[in-house]
Amino acid sequence: MNRFSTLMRNRWVQLGLVVVVAALLLYAPLVLPVFANQTLIRIGVYAVAVLGLNLIMGYAGQVNLGQIFFVGLGAYVAAYGVNQDWNILVVFIASLVVPGVVGLLIALAAARLGGLAIAMVTIALPIVGVPLAKRLSDFTGGSQGTSARFSSAPDWTGLYNDQWQYYIVLVVAAAAFILARNLVRGKYGRAFTIVRENEAVASSMGISPYRYKVLAFTIASIFGGASGFLYLVAVQYTSPETLSFPHSIGLVIAMVIGGAGSIAGSLIGGAYYVLVPQLTNAIDPSFTAISQGVILLAVLFLLPGGLVSLPRVIRRLTRRRTTRSPQGDSPQTTPAEPPPADAAQEGPENTERQIRP
Amino acid sequence: MAARLSLHDVSLHFGGVRVLQEVSFDVEPGVIFGLVGPNGAGKTSLFNCISGHYKPSAGSITIDGTEVVGLAPSRLARLGLARTFQHPALQLEATVLQNVLLGGHTRLPGDPASWSLRLPFTGRSERDIRAEALELLERAGLGWAAHLPADELSHGLHKGVELCRALLMKPALLLLDEPAAGLSHAEVEHLIETVRRIRTEEDITVVIVEHHMGLISALTERVVVLDHGAKLMEGTAAEAQSDRRVIEAYIGKDAADDAA
Repeated sequence: MNRFSTLMRNRWVQLGLVVVVAALLLYAPLVLPVFANQTLIRIGVYAVAVLGLNLIMGYAGQVNLGQIFFVGLGAYVAAYGVNQDWNILVVFIASLVVPGVVGLLIALAAARLGGLAIAMVTIALPIVGVPLAKRLSDFTGGSQGTSARFSSAPDWTGLYNDQWQYYIVLVVAAAAFILARNLVRGKYGRAFTIVRENEAVASSMGISPYRYKVLAFTIASIFGGASGFLYLVAVQYTSPETLSFPHSIGLVIAMVIGGAGSIAGSLIGGAYYVLVPQLTNAIDPSFTAISQGVILLAVLFLLPGGLVSLPRVIRRLTRRRTTRSPQGDSPQTTPAEPPPADAAQEGPENTERQIRP
Repeated sequence: MAARLSLHDVSLHFGGVRVLQEVSFDVEPGVIFGLVGPNGAGKTSLFNCISGHYKPSAGSITIDGTEVVGLAPSRLARLGLARTFQHPALQLEATVLQNVLLGGHTRLPGDPASWSLRLPFTGRSERDIRAEALELLERAGLGWAAHLPADELSHGLHKGVELCRALLMKPALLLLDEPAAGLSHAEVEHLIETVRRIRTEEDITVVIVEHHMGLISALTERVVVLDHGAKLMEGTAAEAQSDRRVIEAYIGKDAADDAA
């Protein structure tokens, strides 16, 4: 186990893994059946939505039950742009900027109210969004929705449509994940986390909880918009149903099951969101709802950190069992302070790090 | 660039309860200043007024001449004020180093976009601040704990980590809220040394709220004694300890008569 984890920490091993995974992801659509490609595409679409949700909810700790609204908004903006014959790059940027601005305005108001205000306001978004999408039929095509055919594979590529769409989703989703990972690794990740855990401490560190809630919400909305754009790439059609409230709750559940406060967990969440209903539907459609509930409860009780924490939990369990006994309880001592009584609790982990002169 | 702190007639009311009544004093740049008084005297409330977590009902508080009443704590932090909490407020699941790094927030440049894109300067500044945080931990005798989760450390060590976090902000004014509370005798000795070292190494003004008279007399050049929200006296720690009004406030008038 130890040899394995040191091996994984090696820079070249990590780089090699990334190259292998990237090669597999690039090669996969060429050999997989259409249905598998479509499934992977949908995972990418929803993983980006869950990723945004994770930034505001998992990292910054602000309950957001309206993420699907921004996905829908992004999809509608993209559909409108395509039907107006905008350049595809302009369509993409508009489908990020419009949800971003709307998210910013909503957060500026909601974050002022504090407490559960953000959660309440975000519940309202999909509830208002669906009838609004039906009403504004000039932009949205009303209840029938609107289709936008733009993601067929160009001839020069020699690809099938599903393969072409796969590559678009792969590029955008990979960029989103890399950007989000970079963001949470330093200054901003720490700031979001302390806003979640203790606002008084955050503010004494010079981090305004209000500004950082607004920032996280805006970024989450932009990711929602990106997901909406990808949704349109994949489905080429959007309707008021796209942004209905149950989907939003589904995203929250997917985030919790994947792992709140984890970038990798968002990907798992996206996979969960797409795969599990597909699987349970295949077994028995009436089984879907109840199995979803059971899985959610099981994860909440057994793995509060989500599926992404599974390796960590297993590692802790096995380590405790194997190396607990002989040297596990020799706590570190410092000249001035007596050792903390609970420091030896995690025995083996400690002894490993006890490199005090 | 140690800061000068001035309070002028600061009052704080919660509804009808008068928590602070017209408290005034000046803290000269570079001194270690004590704020003492029996339980419920309003020390921590006054402290929270200075740090911006409470807004005084009346009066003025200035740091280097800048009026700070009404400013958000996060603005005050950017003006060079750092504080620790009575009950150490750490992120227990994060490592000690991650906790300390939080103090470097205002010193790290760049907007979210440049951090997302990992522009070279963000990586450089992160590495620099990390090295500085590790050095602070090392000097506080906590280098060995840098990569441990904070919840594996004792209460006393948490206070040390919190102090490092505050110091990483490079404050001009450092507020310590009951730093000795819950510490063992040896830990208090260590704390006294640490605060002395900080004052010689950094150009900084330190204000300490404390019950522990040993710590106050060992460290402070000047103290203000509060009782029932009002200033009782101001002077050196030795003067305060022999002042009859102070003794009365602490142990009651009758007991003070008996002692005399």
